[in-house]
Amino acid sequence: MKLIYKVTRRLALVVLPVLLLWATVFYFAMVNEVNDETDDSLEDYAEMIARRVVTGEELPTPGDGSNNTYSIELLPASGGYRDSKAYEDREVYIYWKKETEPARVLTKIFHDDYGAAYKLVVSIPTFERDDIIKAILFYLAILYAVLVFTILIVTVLVFRYSMKPLYSLLKWLDGYRPGNGTAGFPDEESVLEFKKLTKAARETIERAENHLERQKQFIGNASHELQTPLAVLGNRIEWMMDSTSLSEEQFAELSKMRQSIHRLVRLNRTLLLLSKIDSGHFLDKSDVDIVSIIENELELYKEIFAEKEICCNVNVPSGYVVQMDEMLATTMVSNIIKNAFVHSPVGGTIDVCISHDELIVSNNGDEALDKARLFDRFYTSGKTGSTGLGLALVKSIACYYDYGLEYAFDGHGHSFMIRFKR
Amino acid sequence: MKLLIIEDDNSLREIMHRALTSEGYVVEVAPTYFDACDKIAGYSYDCILLDIMLPDGNGLRLLEQIKALDKDDRVIIISARDSLDDKIEGLDLGADDYLPKPFYMAELSARIKSVMRRGAGAVNRTMSAGNIVLDLQSRLVTVNGNAVTLLKKEFDILLYFMQRPNHIIDKAVLAESVWGDHIDMVDNFQFVYAQIKNLRKRLADAGASQNIKAVYGFGYKFTDTEV
Repeated sequence: MKLIYKVTRRLALVVLPVLLLWATVFYFAMVNEVNDETDDSLEDYAEMIARRVVTGEELPTPGDGSNNTYSIELLPASGGYRDSKAYEDREVYIYWKKETEPARVLTKIFHDDYGAAYKLVVSIPTFERDDIIKAILFYLAILYAVLVFTILIVTVLVFRYSMKPLYSLLKWLDGYRPGNGTAGFPDEESVLEFKKLTKAARETIERAENHLERQKQFIGNASHELQTPLAVLGNRIEWMMDSTSLSEEQFAELSKMRQSIHRLVRLNRTLLLLSKIDSGHFLDKSDVDIVSIIENELELYKEIFAEKEICCNVNVPSGYVVQMDEMLATTMVSNIIKNAFVHSPVGGTIDVCISHDELIVSNNGDEALDKARLFDRFYTSGKTGSTGLGLALVKSIACYYDYGLEYAFDGHGHSFMIRFKR
Repeated sequence: MKLLIIEDDNSLREIMHRALTSEGYVVEVAPTYFDACDKIAGYSYDCILLDIMLPDGNGLRLLEQIKALDKDDRVIIISARDSLDDKIEGLDLGADDYLPKPFYMAELSARIKSVMRRGAGAVNRTMSAGNIVLDLQSRLVTVNGNAVTLLKKEFDILLYFMQRPNHIIDKAVLAESVWGDHIDMVDNFQFVYAQIKNLRKRLADAGASQNIKAVYGFGYKFTDTEV
């Protein structure tokens, strides 16, 4: 979830209870105020009637235009009533209107000059509470919507503006690939937090770049330094095998040593190639026809793996040209085809096809490979003679040209896919 | 034939010296850039083996010097850096060949022979052993003057053996030099046996004085058929 959505959602959620609380307070305050005013006028009205009762004046007739109603009764003399006033809200039936309306009702007990007690009930119709609540809620909803909308707009604008450095940093990090260097890194900011963040990111990247560079150099240097001793070792063994009289056993031992050295030499050479690819040594691009490489390689491997009697189905266009270093293109295609031949069972089938800029090489197999580690250096499936670098090379080359490289297993076959970019 | 080895690694220099001396060359050595300068200025060599990574200088500058002195010494660069740039620069500066480390002495000696042959004039682009003659340009093979038809790979194998007579050639090494990196995960060398079997048959049928002999368990050797 984007930070800005989170922030606006939280703001909206916080505003909601605050507004509801405020609405409740507002409602009660308003009701209170209205009651207060009504009570005052009820009081005056009751006072007027009571005075007329006491003085014997004519009482107002019901239906005199106001919705005020009253009733008065003489209480039994033995009651011993005291003067009192009580207010309440009640539904009152208005005769001349012939309907019930909510009203404020005052019940008043008073005595006249002769000590007779009267109970006077006066009512003034007031507002419908439900209507008020509805109205309040309605306007509240409008207020809420307007408020949230405003908050949203303002937040987005303010956020966008003040978070600019963060977004430019994120954008840079998105486009970053190890080994790219820190070119185009966003400038330092004046805001303290962003300054710190930018600085930390820059330092981390620089450190990583540095490590990567040193690691590359180390592998490259180590491989270079190994070349001379390997040459010496191989040649000393060669010399012994050529010129000394050796027993069969000694000769066999030397021969095995020579084979091991040979393997070392090959390994070293591949490591050198990998480190050269990783450090971007191959900047030459030329038009390379992948189809002709595929055809050459297939012919070679068919010859080399002739005893496996592998059947090849090739489904490629008459030409497929990409811009690559020719040596790398050959290495990549060769390794992926070699992989298929090496791991194909005897009498298996290898399918090679190019469609929609994808080169797919598949072979039979009955167990899925470890997808996560498949392209790692020195990961082998236990085949003898494997350096565990073949697919790592393919991956390095694919990465170098930003090609997609995928592996899939469908239950009875492995397939490797390279997606070219033209 | 006089050779100069410019190589800083003592052990490698020693075996190069030993191997090339045993092949009948007169060999001199220079362990440093400084020594090499002296030798180049003072003497002439048929072929100079030049390591371009020297502790006290860049071997490519030595190469420039050799060319500046207008000498016609052949130069083979030997380098631990198997880098295309070095190779191109070296060949541009007038080196005759480029041999990346690590290499086998047999390979080195084959390269020296090939470079010297080129030096002797473009006319002589053939190799011979006994009554077998290989024309490297037209890729034709004759035995006793009669043409023998060989497939591409058979020719490559024969050439490889003829450049390394009397050496025991490991089948894996042979396979790699003929088939390249393609064979590095192969555990069955049936395809090599098949090619060699055909090649031997063709040579024997043509009455060649030399042939490829199997050294059981180790590989092959190119020797006189009488032995």
